[in-house]
Amino acid sequence: MSGRVIVITSGKGGVGKTTTNANIGTALARAGKKVVMIDTDLGLRNLDLLLGLENRIVYTIVDVVEERCKLKQALVKDKKNPNLCLLAAAQTRDKSAVTEEQLKDICEKLQKDFDFILVDCPAGIEQGFQNAVAGASEAIVVTTPEMSAVRDADRIIGLLEAKEEIKSYKLLINRVRPNLIKSNDMMSVDDVVEILSADLIGIIPEDTGIITSTNKGEPIVNDEKSLAGKAYNNVARRIIGEDVPFLNLEEPQGVMAKIKKFFSGLKGGEK
Amino acid sequence: MILANLYNKVLGFFRQTEKEAEESSKDTACNRLRVVLMQDRTNLTPELMERMRKELVELLSKYVEMDKEALELNLEQDGDQVALMLSIPVIRAKDEEEIKAALEAEDKEEKTSEEESDEKSENETEEENLDDDEDLDEDTEAEENLEDEPENSDKEKETGK
Repeated sequence: MSGRVIVITSGKGGVGKTTTNANIGTALARAGKKVVMIDTDLGLRNLDLLLGLENRIVYTIVDVVEERCKLKQALVKDKKNPNLCLLAAAQTRDKSAVTEEQLKDICEKLQKDFDFILVDCPAGIEQGFQNAVAGASEAIVVTTPEMSAVRDADRIIGLLEAKEEIKSYKLLINRVRPNLIKSNDMMSVDDVVEILSADLIGIIPEDTGIITSTNKGEPIVNDEKSLAGKAYNNVARRIIGEDVPFLNLEEPQGVMAKIKKFFSGLKGGEK
Repeated sequence: MILANLYNKVLGFFRQTEKEAEESSKDTACNRLRVVLMQDRTNLTPELMERMRKELVELLSKYVEMDKEALELNLEQDGDQVALMLSIPVIRAKDEEEIKAALEAEDKEEKTSEEESDEKSENETEEENLDDDEDLDEDTEAEENLEDEPENSDKEKETGK
């Protein structure tokens, strides 16, 4: 087995890299793939929280590098899905504790046992980014329809294009707000795609469910009703190679929304 | 009459607000982003662009008479390629003699600059040569240009703010 190593990166912080990582990883595992996620954000680890695994971490990536444990010992299994593992970042060290070569080496070893290795990249374009990208051959660039996030994504794309090892990169647009786009107060998905001229792999709507799911340490893809969860599931299916159309975010989703729409139509805009 | 006036005013007001709404914040964001990404991608700051513009005006003035203020130089994105778009309003084609004179003047400049001592940088010698040859029409134009342009660019910047 030779797994695919995908780095999830964005440049700007707070656009949803870690959330994307947790959800795509969980969705891939739910689809029966063997997945390991590597948190490379040394000193600022969060992926464990989003997965609800913070109390299970014994060893971190730094322990592996400094040979205090074997690689397999440091992999934390997910509570629900045995296909899913996490290699946590160290919280007490900084980015210099792991080198590009060491990360590359870890990725190569993991490729033998897993279908997918998802690397969660820290924000910024410094050494942390260089480390995270080192072992990957594919990248997902996460952005939001905001100027600063798009600008930073453009910078990241420039850096990825300069890397020979990165064979392909795809764009994931997060926190899309259809209402704001409708009223021309937010750049549309098409605008962002055109400006960055990159291939799209996912459109994730803004969803308050993300906050509650983070509170619980439970990725939103496990919630069948959630629109964002559905969108993340679709991203995972596209990664596997399925041809999944993008969700139409303009139309109200779900049965309840449709019923509401039906009644609001009957009432003739009473609201 | 009064009523009709009022009606027109009210209508005009709504039309105005409609027009204002046309340039939505989203469009502003897109346009600002395009400009800033061009600069990011090419490493060309507005100052460098202005300098390139000036140099192009100087160069092209030898061959055609053009509206120097109206020369537009922009970076545009075409798919995943960045293109340098140059729009030059030509007022009049120069006749052969004028072009010859301009080119000869330039050749002379080059020779004299080669003869200049090596200690001086190219820029310095070029400037000196411009000063020396002020009696030639083309060069005085170029000289004026050099003096005028920075003011204009300042103005542009001010209005830009």
